[in-house]
Amino acid sequence: MHVEAIRIKKGYRLSACGRPSLELQRLKAPERVAFVPKSIPFIKPRVAVKEGDPVKAGGLLFWDKYRPELKFRSPGGGSVEAVRWGPRHVLEAVVIRVDAEEEAETFESLSESAIDTLKREELVARIMDGGLWALIRELPFRNIPPGQDTPPRIIVSMATQEPFEPQPAVYLKDQMELFQFGLRVLQRLAPEVSVVLPSGCDAPDALRRMATHGVSGDYPCGDAGVFLYHTKTGPGQNRSWYLRGQDVLLLARFLKEGRYPLERTVVRAGPMAQKPCHIATRMGVPLKVLGGFGTGNGACRFVAGGLFTGYPESETGYLDFYETAVGVLSGDPTPERLALFKPGYDKPSYTRAFLSCLRAGPLPVDGRYHGEERACIGCGFCAEVCPVEILPQFTFKAVLAGEWEEALDHGLLDCVECGLCAHVCPSKIDLTETLKKARRDLYREQLRP
Amino acid sequence: MKDQTPFGMSLRRAIERRPGLKRWLLPLYEAVASVVIAPARFTPVAPVVRDSLDVKRYMMLVIVALLPHYGFGVYNVGYQALSAAGRSPDFFRALFIGLKAVTPIVAVVFMAGLGWEALFAALRRHPISEGVLVTCTLFPLTLPPTIPLWQAALGISFGVVIGKEIFGGTGRNFLNPALTGRAFLYFAYPAQITGDAVWKVLLPGSRAAVDAVSGATPLALAGGLERLQEVHAALSEGGYPLVKLFLGRYPGSIGGTATVLSIVGAAFLVLLGIANYRIILGCLFGLFGTALILNRIASPESMPYLSLNPLYHLAMGGAMFAFAYMATDPVSSCHMQGARWVFGFGIGALTVLIRVFNPAFPEGVGLAVLFMNVFAPLLDEAAIKMRLKRRVPNV
Repeated sequence: MHVEAIRIKKGYRLSACGRPSLELQRLKAPERVAFVPKSIPFIKPRVAVKEGDPVKAGGLLFWDKYRPELKFRSPGGGSVEAVRWGPRHVLEAVVIRVDAEEEAETFESLSESAIDTLKREELVARIMDGGLWALIRELPFRNIPPGQDTPPRIIVSMATQEPFEPQPAVYLKDQMELFQFGLRVLQRLAPEVSVVLPSGCDAPDALRRMATHGVSGDYPCGDAGVFLYHTKTGPGQNRSWYLRGQDVLLLARFLKEGRYPLERTVVRAGPMAQKPCHIATRMGVPLKVLGGFGTGNGACRFVAGGLFTGYPESETGYLDFYETAVGVLSGDPTPERLALFKPGYDKPSYTRAFLSCLRAGPLPVDGRYHGEERACIGCGFCAEVCPVEILPQFTFKAVLAGEWEEALDHGLLDCVECGLCAHVCPSKIDLTETLKKARRDLYREQLRP
Repeated sequence: MKDQTPFGMSLRRAIERRPGLKRWLLPLYEAVASVVIAPARFTPVAPVVRDSLDVKRYMMLVIVALLPHYGFGVYNVGYQALSAAGRSPDFFRALFIGLKAVTPIVAVVFMAGLGWEALFAALRRHPISEGVLVTCTLFPLTLPPTIPLWQAALGISFGVVIGKEIFGGTGRNFLNPALTGRAFLYFAYPAQITGDAVWKVLLPGSRAAVDAVSGATPLALAGGLERLQEVHAALSEGGYPLVKLFLGRYPGSIGGTATVLSIVGAAFLVLLGIANYRIILGCLFGLFGTALILNRIASPESMPYLSLNPLYHLAMGGAMFAFAYMATDPVSSCHMQGARWVFGFGIGALTVLIRVFNPAFPEGVGLAVLFMNVFAPLLDEAAIKMRLKRRVPNV
């Protein structure tokens, strides 16, 4: 297929220690798995199980209060060990103790030829019932789309060029047929399906031939929102849907094989990770099992998800529904002495204010702010890296001042939540979090069903 | 906090135990302590990894760039005083005299500036910002070595309080605080500071003193020429050849006259990514462009100042110093990249125009920067409007 290459000029390449190798390690089956709904947007879980209940792999765990047809299913067969609630009665995790002999829920399977004859509503209903509809997200709010809508197109993002993320070469190995099956299903849902492949990632040749669009540039050039921003020609395309390459496989596996797909390919990475590589494992594994124990002295900090998009999680946490990476960073709480006067040969920076700018090699990263919070000094670094050309230094002020119209004019809804603006900010302002929260509030106010 | 030295611990505890002390001294204590020991603050939200650069280092690098100016300034003050007294300009002697003149000014400026910042930090309950250190480092370099100490204190107080703190502190000011203080002195005490007379430290008992103070700065000299005089020749005769002007080895403000050092400092800051090259280049374009236009319209009957070579404009006075360190202040300059070109151009052009056409103000660069500071939000607004027009709406 013809590949259109789109050059995305803005972004940032952080050369971090502990990049995962392309080797695929198999992890032994964990004793417990959990469903963590933390990053599933805008749902209010109604839990269907109690502690101690037996549950099958793919059995119903909870549904959404606002849209009861949205179901979420169990990542393992066994018994429910705990239903953890957080502050303000937010469901944190449903922990399942896995039996040696797992029972699995069965669903109706879909043959290759039936894809084109099955009615669209029927297809949507099956995916929703299978608990996988949440894999598909709707731009610009990244919510779970309403099934009856037809989007202008579906964007499949194969990789975003985030430092720690699974590469298509690994998760698509021997899976191209399944992937194609998944794409055919998506073609039933939308008139156009764009498969976006960054030129810098490791991908099998078969995928390079299949990709409809190539992008080149630094992180996050392969993100669906970035791709949409650089290709859209009118406001009608803003409501495109997207999902990630690996999630296409999950959809395809569910429909083709008639079982809830538990397989996940994730990466273990970071300066403190033992042997950073790809891992073939299952949904909802404990981070501790995944990350291994740290190599250095002192505590480790786990990041569920990529370096820029993931969130810090304690070592008792589990990998959530969406995340496919675990970062292991230093959790050493010793303060840094005279940091101000160090030349910084090993300190990564967007600017050239450290000697590390003379070094090409990977540099150690950690989960610290590296400074105190200050008022915005207007350096403009955030606008230099923003992949969708927002002016975060002005937009965040508009948001904080409650000037919604202005924030929207600035492109608040184009924000892809990549985290780069807050990453480069020398004043240590949580720009990304501010914009994210504003977008969430806007969705709740305007669109929530 | 277990991360502190026993002395730091006990000092902190002593401060925290007394509510009065806690309110007034804790910001100061934390500001000093955080320079020595940066506490580990982990990120609770995405993105987990943050850049190593913080505002402290950002500001410190500007101060590092300014240090050579202090070295040069101290020497130059002593050198000028010795040569005015007709003595041989011995290096160490010059240094000693320079230190004796400059140190009290710097000490007074820092005490007054930091004092106001600490007071506002305690009142407003915000941490002490590093910006005040840059302001206090810049300010003495723009002063003549002969300034009375009370004037120096008054100037920095005006700069820090009116130029910055009443708007909410660093990051919320729209004028460059150091220049605000300098401009205040300029208008309030013209006798000591307008830049007409040569500023030299007088040595006790030196006979040549009377002659020395009655000399004119290059700016005043160029501005005061009669018609039909050749401006370059007049400057050379007055003791200001181009090379000397570039090196800054003439009587003037403490360190701001060293154009060469300013160019080196600007290159250093641009190379590090701290100063924005668009502003500095814009300033140079504005200065050269305007000066060249004036050269074109100059006729034998017009003011000789009109036909001054643009290089002289760059070398004289504090033009390059202000371009390198004051125009590039990120807070009070434009925030949009495109607007930064215009902002810089405006400063360069206004500098020449004020110098040439306004006999009351021999040096125009400070006022030019302040003037463009006021216009920066307007330029930004225009640049943002143009930028937003390109977006496909997404509501």
